[in-house]
Amino acid sequence: MRHSSWSIVVRLAILLALAGLVLAFPWPAQAGTAERTVRVEARDYAFRPWRIEANTGDRLTIELASGDFVHGLHVEGYEVSLTAEPGQPASATFTADRPGTFRIRCSVPCGPLHPFMGGRLRVGPPVTFLRTLLLGFLAVVAGGLGFGRKARIAEDGGA
Amino acid sequence: MVLRRVTAEHLARLGLALVVVALPLGLAGAWVHAHTSQSATIVHARVSEDGGWLPGTLRARVEIPLQLQLVSDDVVHGFAIGRSGAPPVDLPPGQLVETTLTFSEPGTYTFYCTRWCGPAHWRMRGVIEVAGVQGQTASEPEPLYLSLGIDIDAPHPAAAVPALRPSASRAEALGVDLPEGNRSRQDFIRRSPAETWQSLRSDPSGAPLSDAQVWDLVARLWRSTTTAEALAEGRALYAQNCAACHGEAGAGDGVMASSVPPAGEALSVGAHLSGPADFTESSTLLGASSALLQGKILRGGMGTGMPYWGPILTEAQIWALTDYLWTFQFEE
Amino acid sequence: MTRIDLGRIPVVRALLVSRGPQLVLQLAALAGLSLVIVSGLLGTPVGNRNPATVLVWIAWWAALMIVAVPLFGRLWCSICPLALPGEWLQRGAIHRPRGPGRGLSLRWPPRLRGMWTQNAAFVLVALFSLPVLTQPRLTAILLAGLVLLAIAISLVFERRTFCRYLCPVGGFIGLYSQAALLELRVRDPRVCAQHKTKTCYSGSTAGYGCPWMAFPASLKTNVSCGLCLECLRTCPLDNVAINLRPIGTDLQKPTRVGLDEAFKSLLLVGSALVYVLVLLGPWSNLRTAAASVGSMPWVTYSAGFLLVTLIALPGLFHLATRLGTPNGSPPLAGWGVFRAFAPALIPLGLGAWAAFSLGLVLANASTILPAISDPLGLGWDILGTSAAAWTPLGGSLGAWPMVVLVLAGLTWTSRRVRAVAEDLGGGVRMAVPVWGFSLLLASGFLWSFVA
Repeated sequence: MRHSSWSIVVRLAILLALAGLVLAFPWPAQAGTAERTVRVEARDYAFRPWRIEANTGDRLTIELASGDFVHGLHVEGYEVSLTAEPGQPASATFTADRPGTFRIRCSVPCGPLHPFMGGRLRVGPPVTFLRTLLLGFLAVVAGGLGFGRKARIAEDGGA
Repeated sequence: MVLRRVTAEHLARLGLALVVVALPLGLAGAWVHAHTSQSATIVHARVSEDGGWLPGTLRARVEIPLQLQLVSDDVVHGFAIGRSGAPPVDLPPGQLVETTLTFSEPGTYTFYCTRWCGPAHWRMRGVIEVAGVQGQTASEPEPLYLSLGIDIDAPHPAAAVPALRPSASRAEALGVDLPEGNRSRQDFIRRSPAETWQSLRSDPSGAPLSDAQVWDLVARLWRSTTTAEALAEGRALYAQNCAACHGEAGAGDGVMASSVPPAGEALSVGAHLSGPADFTESSTLLGASSALLQGKILRGGMGTGMPYWGPILTEAQIWALTDYLWTFQFEE
Repeated sequence: MTRIDLGRIPVVRALLVSRGPQLVLQLAALAGLSLVIVSGLLGTPVGNRNPATVLVWIAWWAALMIVAVPLFGRLWCSICPLALPGEWLQRGAIHRPRGPGRGLSLRWPPRLRGMWTQNAAFVLVALFSLPVLTQPRLTAILLAGLVLLAIAISLVFERRTFCRYLCPVGGFIGLYSQAALLELRVRDPRVCAQHKTKTCYSGSTAGYGCPWMAFPASLKTNVSCGLCLECLRTCPLDNVAINLRPIGTDLQKPTRVGLDEAFKSLLLVGSALVYVLVLLGPWSNLRTAAASVGSMPWVTYSAGFLLVTLIALPGLFHLATRLGTPNGSPPLAGWGVFRAFAPALIPLGLGAWAAFSLGLVLANASTILPAISDPLGLGWDILGTSAAAWTPLGGSLGAWPMVVLVLAGLTWTSRRVRAVAEDLGGGVRMAVPVWGFSLLLASGFLWSFVA
């Protein structure tokens, strides 16, 4: 059963269009912007809270307080960096104008598990995972629209 | 002698020898050389629980520069010599930092860590024994609390506390002069604010004033006997050294507070504190004099987690700190 | 299907047959290993400043998972320094053969053949992986231990027994090498059938018999061929081809693999899932447990790891394969369906490992040059980069590169699932539960990157 190249193009186009829709679908507008302050405690290779949440457009202040050593907090995407040690917290204020989920990493070596000390900043509605999950569904569909190629199963596997 | 052709096998073996013998031996040799060098001493910095400064004791001679190569093995540390004016040297983990020290007087110098590295950070100290001929150095004067005979371990409840937070600037507006005996710095640091208040209260010049106004005078005495520079230095020292346990707002609730062992059985009297002191508590702080506070800072708390700062902070620095501590009770 | 035989290009063939270029690369890899072991043992314990951890787990690991294996298959194995000292001692030569080598040349016991020993080695290393990954001394000890083990095995057993049956990395490389653009196959099997002496396997003065104990004429996938090119040198009939081919060709025509290889596919994708959830997720106490080897929390974590990768995920997969299967008929009975579907997970596993490594390398690539510039932590500055600050890369792209890799792997896996279902005569109904399983795994990966 061979598919014409036209039908392949059509299927691909539909899939890409759906993918675009998933990525760009505007989420309902949220409540208005605010001045938001979040105190993050860094201790034992963890940031608490792990995830900072804000609405798009909020004026966000992150205060970093350390509970054991000198730690850093670096927000990817926004390129905000802070360094703090016990007794000397630090803070930074910026406008969270770009929605999405951004990685937070510790930017000052603080022991062996330092490379895995991280957190998240989520700006806007919690849709990123949902979007990628839907894209995953589309990926399964895209792969599943296989071209019905028949192949023999060899009796004994491999070399 | 048989001459052999140099074959590809020989070249290959030579390459192998270079890579698995010469390279590692060269590196290992360089490492040994660096660690046995006479010119510079490598000092490793680790959190106290893992050994602290290694080695913890160094030796030097007067006027001969001591070259140190400092490297942190775990977290950010800092290096400074106690009671010296030299700025501290930060030690980023894994990066070797060189510093040279020259001592003009023999004696025992304490070096310490200047960046917080866990609950045992303050214990991260070492000594440098400097040998040489003793010059003409003046001996250290006896700390004030000893010459005044203050028992710094005894409880110090304040006999009177203000209803309202005393303000030095409000006292300025009163237009009243501070009386004799309650005017100079020496007057202020020897008595607790509660005692100063009693003294001002019973002084004839204080008769027309309300209790609150007399408290304002106490605050004014404090503020007039210190300077903005001293308060700024005190604030910086507090943030670096004290806030972690005593809290940024002085309430005894710093992030390290839970790591500080409560006052133990070693304390015979006055063991009522179960954690870092709360400087916002008027009933206790206002009963302490600056001299008493200086004593606590100098000697530390026996049986509590309060470090002893004698080898680390100069006298001027400790007085600046005590001046700053009153900002938890008084307004400028 | 177009294949380009690189061996037909004279310059290329000359370079491949000559031992010089390969030897230079091998010595370079050995130099890297020497540096890594010495600096791991003597240098700073700080993971992101020591070449041991930085070169192995950031530079080499990422290059392996993102470039070397997906594109070039087992090419790394041809220069891997872990095997070379043992192999050269065993052969008594580094260059051309110089007569019978040393060692007992025992055959690996038949009961221990197959991939179960490699699966076990991988799992063992995985349980200790977090401290090894983050502490230079442990990295050095692991690698030195593997070299010594390889030497010992090489002096007792024949050829590359270590590589074939024991190397923990080899399991990963072998399975995922099926995606590669490169392959080594014979040009015409009939020529091999008529060749009496089979020098490709027994060796000659020109080269050694296949160290991987594979018979070139029967190579159908890349899994067991280490691209050492000895057969290219020994074949007197010029019948060995090094082909450039479309990506993933080995996965196009499903061959029924053994249960060990099928299980390995599950093991690798399952361990990738545990890794991303533990290392990138919000549960810092899990991470701490994984790092404190020997403690009670670590025992709990290890038990969980083993449960998930050895029992829960393979069990769930087995269930998924059976849900749409008509009962009973061979070859669908027993583990047949499991073995048929397991290779379909290879693209998803590869995509997940590549995505995880990409995240690590983007964040930490800036530590490579400073670490090399001061390998022993003595304050050297060989490259002038010792003081360079940590600069994470790709911040503006966020997690999207990782998402793309996972989705690409998922799409390809989904296609393979459909193809296997059709081959088994089950159609879409048989594919749906396996699609569901794949999507479940993929959602775990996606969540750890974007949530």
